[in-house]
Parts: sequence; C-alpha cells; structure tokens
Amino acid sequence: MEMDRESGKLEQIVSQFRSKILHVILDSRVPSLHHHHHQQQQESLSHSRVRKTDKWFNLVLGDRPPALENLNFSLRNLFDPMVIDIILVHRGSCSSSVDNLYSPSAPAAGPADETVIERWVVQYDCPRFIATPSGADACVSYKKIYKKSIILLRSLYTQMRLLPAYRIFKQLSSLSQTYNFDLVYKVSSFSHPFSREEESGMKEYIFAPVEALSGCLSVSVTYRATLSDFNLEPLVSLPPKIITDYVGSPTTDPMRSFPSSDKGAHATSFPLRGARPPSSSPFQRPHSWSSGFHRGFLSTKTQSLAGSPPVYRTSPKPYDIASPPTDLYGNRIQNQRVSTLQQVTAYDEYKSSPPFSPSASPSTPSYLSGTNPLRTRHCSETAPVTIPLPLTGRSTRYLSPNSSDPSRHSLPPLSPRSSKHDASSQESPSGIRSYRKIEALRAGESPSGLSNNYSAQKVVRDSKDDSGRFSALLSSSGSPRIGFSRSSSRLSFQDDMDDCEFSCPFDVDDVDVSDSSSQNTEGKKASEFTAQSNLVGKKSQDAAVGILVHMLRTAPPLRQDSSCYSTHSLRTEYEGGVSIASGFFMPRKTADALEELNSYREMKDLLLSKSGTRVVRKEEIK
Amino acid sequence: MNCEVCQLKELEVEHFEIREVLRCILHTIVFHRALGLVRPKDVDLELFEITYVQCGDVELEKKIDEKIDHFISWVEKHPNKKSQICLSFYEVKSKQPSWFTNKTERLYWEQWYINLNVTQHPKHHSSKSHHTKLVVDPGESATEERSSRRAMVEASLREVLFQIIKFVNEKKDHVPPISEGVIYFPYEITIPSSSDSAFGMDMIKRMLHSGHPTMLS
Repeated sequence: MEMDRESGKLEQIVSQFRSKILHVILDSRVPSLHHHHHQQQQESLSHSRVRKTDKWFNLVLGDRPPALENLNFSLRNLFDPMVIDIILVHRGSCSSSVDNLYSPSAPAAGPADETVIERWVVQYDCPRFIATPSGADACVSYKKIYKKSIILLRSLYTQMRLLPAYRIFKQLSSLSQTYNFDLVYKVSSFSHPFSREEESGMKEYIFAPVEALSGCLSVSVTYRATLSDFNLEPLVSLPPKIITDYVGSPTTDPMRSFPSSDKGAHATSFPLRGARPPSSSPFQRPHSWSSGFHRGFLSTKTQSLAGSPPVYRTSPKPYDIASPPTDLYGNRIQNQRVSTLQQVTAYDEYKSSPPFSPSASPSTPSYLSGTNPLRTRHCSETAPVTIPLPLTGRSTRYLSPNSSDPSRHSLPPLSPRSSKHDASSQESPSGIRSYRKIEALRAGESPSGLSNNYSAQKVVRDSKDDSGRFSALLSSSGSPRIGFSRSSSRLSFQDDMDDCEFSCPFDVDDVDVSDSSSQNTEGKKASEFTAQSNLVGKKSQDAAVGILVHMLRTAPPLRQDSSCYSTHSLRTEYEGGVSIASGFFMPRKTADALEELNSYREMKDLLLSKSGTRVVRKEEIK
Repeated sequence: MNCEVCQLKELEVEHFEIREVLRCILHTIVFHRALGLVRPKDVDLELFEITYVQCGDVELEKKIDEKIDHFISWVEKHPNKKSQICLSFYEVKSKQPSWFTNKTERLYWEQWYINLNVTQHPKHHSSKSHHTKLVVDPGESATEERSSRRAMVEASLREVLFQIIKFVNEKKDHVPPISEGVIYFPYEITIPSSSDSAFGMDMIKRMLHSGHPTMLS
C-alpha cells in the first residue's frame, strides 16, 4: 500500500514535470501560443493570481495552452519518451511576399521547407531493479526528487533562452513584421532519426538526470548550432494606412454618406440642415453604417429623400435659420439613437425569435425586410387582414383597456402620429385611427375604450400607449396570427417608433404594409420635421407647426387603399373629441401644438432611454 | 555538508559593460537558487543579444544593483585590475554562543566566483549609465574592432551562462531543502573592498564562519 502511494507520488511528479517542460518549451518556441499566454499572463499578473498548475515546481508560467492538455492526454504513458520537435517552416522565396502577407497560412508558390531545429526529449526510464524506500526515506526521497526537478526545470528555462532558436522565436513574436518563416511544434512519443546531414549541423546537450529510486528522469536537447543557413527575412509589409474618416471620428460627419452596398442601399446623410444634399462620395471602404441593419435603415431614409428632393432642398431654409450648432448635434444624436434603436430592435427581434412565419410582405423592399424583419413580419401578420395598415394591429392592442396602463411601457408617444391627430386636418391620421378602431372591433374590444382613447387631448397618450398596449393586446387578444412575445411586440413598437421618427405620421401604417419607398419618403420627411421641431423648442413651436403643415400639404398622396380607408374613417369611424376636417388639412391650435411638442420630447426621451435606463415620465401618464 | 565552489570563466569587459554583465550572471545564478515560488522575468541585455532570467523579486534586484554600484565604484578607484565578486549561499545555523562567534552561524554551502578583468580606464560618467562615451576613433577599423570585441564578450558571457547551467545541473545534492515560504536561499555578495588586505580579511572571516577551506583563484 505504502509502496503504491509512493510510486503514485513519483508518477505525479513525473507527469507534472512533463507537462511543465512542455509548457516551458511551447511558451518559448511557438509564437502563436506565446501571444495567447502572454495576454493571460498580463491579466494574471495584474490579479496576482497563482494557479494550481503554477505551483508545480514553483514556477509560475500562467495558463497552460489548450493544446497542452490534449498532448498530455495523448502521452499518458510516463515511460514513453516525450519528443518535442521545434520545426522551422520556411516558406518558399519564389512566392510573392505580398501573397504571403495576405495568406501566410496558405501554401506558397514555392515549397515550404520544414527543418527540425530543436528536439527535446523527456524520458523517464524505469530501472531494472526498483528499490522500495521505507516510509521516512521515501518522504525524503520525494522531496529531494522534487527539489532536483525544480532545479532541472530552472536550468532548462534558462537554457531555452540561450539556444539559437530563441532568437527566431523573438523575431516571430514581434508583431511589427511578418516573416517568411514560422515556428511550429510536434509532440510525439517517438522520434524520427535525423539524417546524417542534419546531424552534422546539430549539437546535443543532456541535462543531468534526476535519479529516483524507481526511475530516472532525463532531459536532452539536440539543436542546430547555427541558423544562418536559412533565409530568414521579414516580408515586405504594406505601409500602414491611416484612415482618418472612420465612423466615429470626431472630424467625420456622422451623417456622412457612404457608398452604396450591393443591395443598392445607400447610407446618406440626413439633410436636417436641409441645404446639404445627399452626398455622393465615392465608395472608399466599408464601415459599420453600411453593413447590417443600419444599411437598410439608412437606405430607407435615402429613398425617402430621393423621393422628394425638392421638398428637402427648398424647405430647409427655416431649418437653417433655426438650427444652431446644438441643433445639429441634437439631430445627430437623435439619428444615431434611432439607428441604434433600429439595430437593437432588429437584433432583439432575432433574439426573441417570434413564432410567426417570417413571410415578407410583397410590397416591402428586400432591404427593409432584412433590416426590420419584425416589422416586416408584423406586416405579414397584418397582411391577411383586409386593412393593410400595420398600425391597425397595434391599435387594437392599444385600444385594449388592459393595456391602457401607461406604466406598462416606457416609450414615448408616436408624436408625429399624434400631431397628425391633433392637426385633424390630415386624413391619414384619422385613417389610422380608423384602422385602430376597426381592429379594435375585430379584436372584440369595447367601443367605450375606443372612444376614450380617441379623444383629442389624449392623442399623445394614445401614441404612447401604443408601445405597451401593442404587446399587451398581442398577448391578451390571443389572436392566432400574432404569436410573438410581449417583448418582441414591444420591440416591434420600437420599430414603429423608429419609423415614426423618419416617416410621416400618416405613413407609419403604410410603411409596414405597402411600398416603403413612397411611405418612407413621407415618413422621413415627417420625422425630419419632428426632429427639427423638437430641437427648436418652444420658441419655434409655431414654426414647427407650420413646417409640419407644409410638409403634409406637399406630401405626395398616399396609397389608393390608404386614402380610401382614411376618408372613409374620417367620416364614419372617428369618435370622440377629435375634430376631423373633411380634408387633409386642419387648423391647428396652440394646445395641439403644445401636445405635439410634448410628444416630441417624449420621443427624444425614448431615444435617450435606449442608451440607458428607461425614462418614464409622469407627463406621459395622463 | 559540502561547500561547492564554482569558478566562472574570466571575462574581459570594459567599464560600461560591467553592470550588464554582472546583472546577467548574478541573476542567473540566483534564479537557479531561488527554489521558492517565482514568476520568471525575462530580461534582454542591451549591449548583447542575450536574454537572461530573473526570479522577479524586487528586493533581490535592488540588493544586486546596490552591490554592482559598489563594485563599479571600487573599479573606478582601482582601474585595470582583475577583480572577483563572490556570491555565496549559506544556511543559518544556531550555535552555542561563545566569545569568538555569534549565536548564529552561517554555513556556506555554495560559492560562486565571478572573475572580471576590466580592461579600460573608466571615464567619468553617471553610475547608472551603461554606455560610456568613448573617444571616437576615426575610421572603420575602430568600429570593426569594437564590434568584434563585443562579439567576443558576448560569446564569453554565453559560455559563462552555460557554465552556470552545467554546474547547477551537476551538483544538486548539496542544496539544502526548500523552506516553506522562502523564495531564495540566504545569499551574500562579496565585492573587493577598498584594500586588498581587507578583501583578504573577508575571505579569512568566511573561512572561520564556514569552517571549510575556501578555494582561492
């Protein structure tokens, strides 16, 4: 029993010794493993953490490379020698250095020479006669063996840095240059004998073995005395290119346009200033704005702008006058937040993985479906519905008395929508309301709820409620066609918020269902107006109102269906205190403008809250 | 317990090379005798293409630097002389106090002699400076001579380091057991004092303490 325990201890020492030696060798010869380890060591140094493996042989080396664990497993037999070959891989010189730069791992045009420049052999020989020490002697024996192993490891560690291969390792470890050679390793339990030619240029050093009663631990190294025969030269490195116009650079206009993608989506500056037309700078390099969700989102803006350039270009003058530098900053913030919101929305949508079928609406552009799949899906959800406005779906939820609790959501109202409501001169807002009404009826909501919610003074609240109620209604209505979770529905509302930011109030519904190009044009204009008026503040309230009215007046006509529905709803479905004019344009009151301003503020808070905690104002809750 | 002595190969160094050479040799020896938990630290020499390993102990590094400063001061006062630095490891043993000896006794179990031959007259420079401003000799021959001389010193230093590794590997039995919590064994660095006689007295003192004959070069 005691003998087994003793031999077990010795085996443990030998096993750990082999692992430690392997760790030392790989850390001092393989640049790729060294980089990984060096980073970890920096972290461990800062935390002053000593791992269990570090305590072996009192040599702190940091985390063992993952490859080492596998190697240890494959070389479990302690009596098999552990042969570690350090191989210099020299890529052919006839290949282009530039090619090697871009594909260093790819086989070069010329042959890749592989030369074993070092061979470490760790062996634990079992003597023919094993003397079994007695208890006390055994303990002393293991301590001595352990102490001698520590010394051996120390000398090996020092020796590693004196051999010629260390210089190559240092060269390769330097990240400043790329070379036409590399150092790799091979661990096996047997060694291929060197050829006579190879042997001639090699030297051997045998470390003094650590003799134990039950075995003898020995380490030897055969190494190339000189490596000057190899053409070890750095590859031609491309001069570093300093990119000054990166996204996020303080000198770069965050709304600067970037070239189009393959989908034809354009990231265009949002001309809130008005005077600046969408830039058409040539494609320089990809950036975050032109990839992912931003692309589609911005492209919608682009299309909207493209759809009505004259409007933008002619109308901006009041903006210019009323847009101090803070305005621009505010605009940027808003746009960026919206973009972020859009991205978050899309990402969250994927996360939540709503169970509904992702069939895209035929009228929705591909990029838009790619960027706002939830919205698209929501459109698809509403597609079967006769009324093609997605807001209807939302409105049903909004109309639910259960969802009227403002505390359920933290999203500000859809101010453009509310403004439209307030203006009451617009057909489409009324139309939207009508859709809501219809959907509410379909969902079986009480008309009383409808009437309460459709009051003019509560329009802002209505818009706000859309966010939470949307989800609430989704869950409460139990409509089979709407199966996604509350979170996703909330996110869809965020989508709508985003749309609201950049789409006309009366286009919100259309954006979800019909051609987004036409819708987004108006939508973007409305959102632009929205952003503008919000930033301007109370002082230019009237100006904002005027701008909105002007925008609505000059907006291209809605879809045939929408217009039909809207007019229809205007006359028949609208209830409550909201006064509805027969046409698109209705006189605005100061109170309405104030309401609109508040909604703009809330929208701004919403966007701000997306970057941090949610902001629920009491003002929203009314 | 035997006191193992290792006489390292003599190195012919210039004044500005003393610090780096001594640091390299002393730290390499101590690293092999710091058998407690250490976090090795690689240090690249500036004058030579050699990397040596320190045990990472700040206190130790400071003490070694102090001793090197003292040695450089001594060399400045005694130019063009062969000098010897002794690095000794000892065990502290309690002993019966007597009128002749202290209560504790140092049992030296290993001694390393670093032999230096400082060839050049030291220029006046700050003690921290590694690179003395030499008199610039015109022509390429001086540069070539300097570089070849530098290569020779580097090769010699590398040999000394290999010698240390060989000695450390071959002689292990005399090393005392590792104490818990102790990083390195007690050590002592002896540099030549102001006078040769005093240096000799130090050797005699050590002999009395250790009780073993000390091999002199």
